[in-house]
Amino acid sequence: MKHKSWLCLLLCALLVLELSACTGRSFQSKKQIAVIVKSQNSEFWQTVKKGVTAAATEYNVSVTFEGPQNEEDYTAQNQMIENAVSRGVDAIVLSAIDYDRCASAVTSAAQRGVKVVAIDSTVRSSAVNMFIGTDNVAAGETAAQAAVQSVPTGQNIAIGIINCDGATENGQRREEGFKNYIKNVENAEVVAVLNVDSSVESATSGAIHLLTNYPKINVLVGFNEFMTLGIGNAIEKLALGDKIHAVGFDSNIVSIGMLESGEMDALIVQNPFAIGYLGIQHAVDLIEGNATEMTVYTQASLITKENMFDEENQKLLFRFQ
Amino acid sequence: MKKIFSKKNVRLSTLTIVFVGIAITAAVAICVGLFSAVYSRSVLRDATVSSEQVVAQSTIAVNNYLDGMKDKLSKISEQMYKSESIEAFRNDIAVTTEIQNDIYAILIYDENGNILNCVSENSNFKDKICRDLSFDKALYATTEKYILTPPHVDNLFKGEYPWVVTIALKEFQPLYGKNVYIAIDFKFSEIAKYIDHVGIGRHGYCYIMDADGNIVYHPQQQMIYSGLKEEANANIQSLKDGVYPEKDKIYTIRTTQDARWRIVGVHYTEELRLERRTQILVGIMIALACSAVITVIMLFLFSKIVNAPVRELVRAMKAFEEAADTFEYKAPQQTVAELQILNDSFEHLVKRTKELMEKVRNEEIVLRKTELKALQAQINPHFLYNTLDSIQWMCEQGNDADAVKMVGALAKLFRISISRGHEFIKIKDEIQHAQSYLIIQSFRYRNQFSYTFRVDEELEDCLCNKITIQPLIENAIYHGIDRMVDEGEIHITVQESEDGDVLIIVEDNGVGMTEEQCKKILSKDRSDSGGIGVKNVDDRLKIYFGEKYGLQIESELDVGTKVTVRMPKLRKEPDNEA
Repeated sequence: MKHKSWLCLLLCALLVLELSACTGRSFQSKKQIAVIVKSQNSEFWQTVKKGVTAAATEYNVSVTFEGPQNEEDYTAQNQMIENAVSRGVDAIVLSAIDYDRCASAVTSAAQRGVKVVAIDSTVRSSAVNMFIGTDNVAAGETAAQAAVQSVPTGQNIAIGIINCDGATENGQRREEGFKNYIKNVENAEVVAVLNVDSSVESATSGAIHLLTNYPKINVLVGFNEFMTLGIGNAIEKLALGDKIHAVGFDSNIVSIGMLESGEMDALIVQNPFAIGYLGIQHAVDLIEGNATEMTVYTQASLITKENMFDEENQKLLFRFQ
Repeated sequence: MKKIFSKKNVRLSTLTIVFVGIAITAAVAICVGLFSAVYSRSVLRDATVSSEQVVAQSTIAVNNYLDGMKDKLSKISEQMYKSESIEAFRNDIAVTTEIQNDIYAILIYDENGNILNCVSENSNFKDKICRDLSFDKALYATTEKYILTPPHVDNLFKGEYPWVVTIALKEFQPLYGKNVYIAIDFKFSEIAKYIDHVGIGRHGYCYIMDADGNIVYHPQQQMIYSGLKEEANANIQSLKDGVYPEKDKIYTIRTTQDARWRIVGVHYTEELRLERRTQILVGIMIALACSAVITVIMLFLFSKIVNAPVRELVRAMKAFEEAADTFEYKAPQQTVAELQILNDSFEHLVKRTKELMEKVRNEEIVLRKTELKALQAQINPHFLYNTLDSIQWMCEQGNDADAVKMVGALAKLFRISISRGHEFIKIKDEIQHAQSYLIIQSFRYRNQFSYTFRVDEELEDCLCNKITIQPLIENAIYHGIDRMVDEGEIHITVQESEDGDVLIIVEDNGVGMTEEQCKKILSKDRSDSGGIGVKNVDDRLKIYFGEKYGLQIESELDVGTKVTVRMPKLRKEPDNEA
């Protein structure tokens, strides 16, 4: 009988264990997700961060949000990826600075079992499980449409492009989409393309350089937030608001002000909050193994002075504090 | 736990466990079923009640807030009446925007939407306004006393685009000498304080929509604006105030006093169900664990009180079956009355059986001894006749000396064999008896054999069963020497064995015997001559001294036979001689 009672006790112990396993699931350690972006100091990335935070609360994961000081520093970004991997994160949500030079860090991260979700800009690596962001080629085409429309019909369109360093994926795609569209427009041509560092200062001086060296230019296009601000600044400085039409990407208080006051003609506004939010959402899906889509395109809208205060565009343009 | 089932029969312990297990499982299942049915209904009811309460409270808070704003409008209007100059009025209301954080701007419009005056926490008023979102001509043309706009961006000031709601009042103001609109742009910070902290269940929340179904304020406004979240406002808008349980949510709707805004509470029943399931699961687990513990204790007790004693009794019965004569049983003290009776009966049975067995054995021994004694007392008539015949023949021949010797030996033989009815005689007397027999036989088998005696003198006074040696010598003569052509030899030795017993050895060099013959001899009750047989000798030794003692025959064909008698060293007669 001794044996039998021990057996029973054993069964009891098993039961208790099972019980604690059932209830203990909620106390499991949170999943770790590292969000590594291009920089932290633009409005765009701040809104992405808001989306990331909202999703982290919703899905009960712990996230870190980091980015290098400037948008060219791919070594710092690679270092961040490596640090995240050695910290033992479950997933990395990455916006890659350099399409090629960030690839090996991503591949080795994936080899260590870390899921990789690319947001905004991806890398040349098959290890990237998913892309979430704007359809950059389509956004480029939209920008081109806006550029063409900004010029009164009949006038020739001479376009100057200010783009950031050639390495980042999204800028290149936008430019590609833009040029593809312009190719088919009869009276339009891209007069000059200038690659500058991704900062307001270098974009401003780049835009001034273009405007002074190519007097023919009547349309300036910038492919990210800093480029846009640089163009606006240059137009404001040279007081060419009426003569030069400008199309830019992303929105912040300053560029919206420029749109309102006429320095900018159109902005392609992405949905950074959704990009951040969906990045985390899909990273969680990947970790839990129930991800299905490979690419998720978020909305990008064309905002002009005329439609900027439409009810829907207000929602897109102005962050709810 | 050897094996639970022995083909057909079920063990008592197994039966107990199965019955108790079924009973407990059934009890737990019934309890859990009842409990979960009652519990789930009450949980749903609680959820409905609690979301109703929460939404009611939120509605009161929002009402109060709107009333506060309306009060503010009235006060501004009063102030405007009292003020003597526009400048003085402006200074008065400027304080308000500074004090109250949620008031972003106070605006005075004329009927066409031109801004007559404006005060804000942000002093950078734009010179050029492309579209004033705080003034909506269609909306402002209402007949209602207060105007309330949907949420919009306030774009009147440089460097800021806060989301606000405009509440306005139309009045004739002598200060301006015409009808004006007094408008307040207020931010959501105060409303957010109520709405954001309202929790319904774990993930439930409240939000505000206007009468047209547009969201005014939502705790996750940015998610809604980014298109990541939607509320089913098209459906909800048409519903009256009340509680609406849907498939996986409970909607609770209330309208504010002025019927402009509606507060919607969303309670996720899925989460309730999950919570309920875990709670029920935990309940089941606890119940099972408790009942398992109780079962173990009960089984342990039951087994100690009932099963173990029964098993013990069964074991005892089996042991009794195997070795009844050496088995001892003392009934242990039992808790269960029936078991006590069984045990006591068994103890009694064992005792009675042993007594009976002992009695039967003793009776058998007595019978046997009597029988053997009767045999001893008999005189072998053939032997007597032959001997007397020999004596007669000697007398006829005039061989007086031999006749005298023969008669003497015969007399001794008889005297010793009678020996006053005693079973035990001294070894030296037994030797004499054997010698007498050998003397008589050596006359009959003249020159056919010789014999020697080698007796340990110390043992001469020890006792032995009478007529032990003679049958062995008789056996040696008849089966060994009689059939020999050469002269036979008989050696009789009396010695002490290494372990202190007395050994009497009778050896001959006769034809020897096969193993079968040896066995046959040991089973013969009477000798060939009709006297006491070898078996008789063996039986007596065993009856008196036990199985250890008796005869041992070693024989080899054409070599001879050696018979060894083993008996204990006796100085006086054993007590049990009957």
